[in-house]
Amino acid sequence: MLLPHPPQARSRRCPASYIRFRARGQVHGGAQPEVGGAAMLLALSRCWAPLSRRPLPLLVPARGRKSRHDPPAKSKAGRLKVPPPVDPAELLVVSERYRQYRLVLQALRMEFKQEVMRKHREERLDKESGAEAMEEHLKLMAWNSAENERLRKKREERLRREEEELQDRKLQGALNRAKLMEDFLKQKEREVLQLQEEARNFITPENLDERIKECLDNPRNYNFAIDKEGRVVKRSVPS
Amino acid sequence: MPRYELALILKAMQRPEVAATLKRTIEALMERGAVVRNLENLGERSLPYKISKHDQNHRRGGYFLVDFDGPPAIISTMMDHLGRDVDVIRPTFLKHPVSKTEECSGIIPVNYEDKLYTKKK
Repeated sequence: MLLPHPPQARSRRCPASYIRFRARGQVHGGAQPEVGGAAMLLALSRCWAPLSRRPLPLLVPARGRKSRHDPPAKSKAGRLKVPPPVDPAELLVVSERYRQYRLVLQALRMEFKQEVMRKHREERLDKESGAEAMEEHLKLMAWNSAENERLRKKREERLRREEEELQDRKLQGALNRAKLMEDFLKQKEREVLQLQEEARNFITPENLDERIKECLDNPRNYNFAIDKEGRVVKRSVPS
Repeated sequence: MPRYELALILKAMQRPEVAATLKRTIEALMERGAVVRNLENLGERSLPYKISKHDQNHRRGGYFLVDFDGPPAIISTMMDHLGRDVDVIRPTFLKHPVSKTEECSGIIPVNYEDKLYTKKK
């Protein structure tokens, strides 16, 4: 079946006078002078030089000089916007043609894609299912498992060593703690004994009188003099 | 129980009165739950300045030192009690001084040059 040409989309030509122009560089929306459009379009269509050489228009068509907030003109008071008329028979024919065209194109595209994929797959399978490919695969697998073994051994060694170190440290910590506890207890024992020793000399209600008498009899003097050489003089008379 | 020192300045009196005052004081301490370790006499000497207490001017006083272990709550009550006692010129409660166990390393030399100029921050 012959490939259908894509049907003509436009059935009506847009006259040139409908097109408006604006000067290049001017912002859309301001009041701009309208330039004669039709003559310029004809002049342009007669040009045959390449685009880079052609005299480019200074005025560029813009989409109307009114912005959306400007009120519509009085001449457009009773304007009814009607869509362009459509011939139903023509529409049917055209859409049917388009459908068939697209169907055929899509089928072809799919076909080509499938072919390409089939080729790739066969290539891949050929590459993989060869004898040397099998050998290489086996060799690589063997190497991989050897590597895994080696790393596993290393890891286990490391873990074991760390475990040992942890146990050592824990033991050391326990020993330290025990030693500290022991020292603390010994210190407390010593303090208690010392206090017991001192308690023998405490003042009790019974020996209060003797102690007061003894205290009044022995005045103590803590004053002393010292010089830079370190000679101490304890004898001093309280005034 | 923390260890306190009571530096007691008593009025310059005769011996039996001094003994009675000390007895009173120590009994008051023991009543409030203190344990008295030792009582020391630092002699009767002239005070460093004239102290007027209980409508009297004192120039001489007897210095006594009582070290005891007691609960901290008795300090304020004892201060009240001793403040009311006529024979007591000045009671002072101190924490028992802890003697340093480390060896004294001597005078640390001070850099006088640094001290001469103020350091502006």
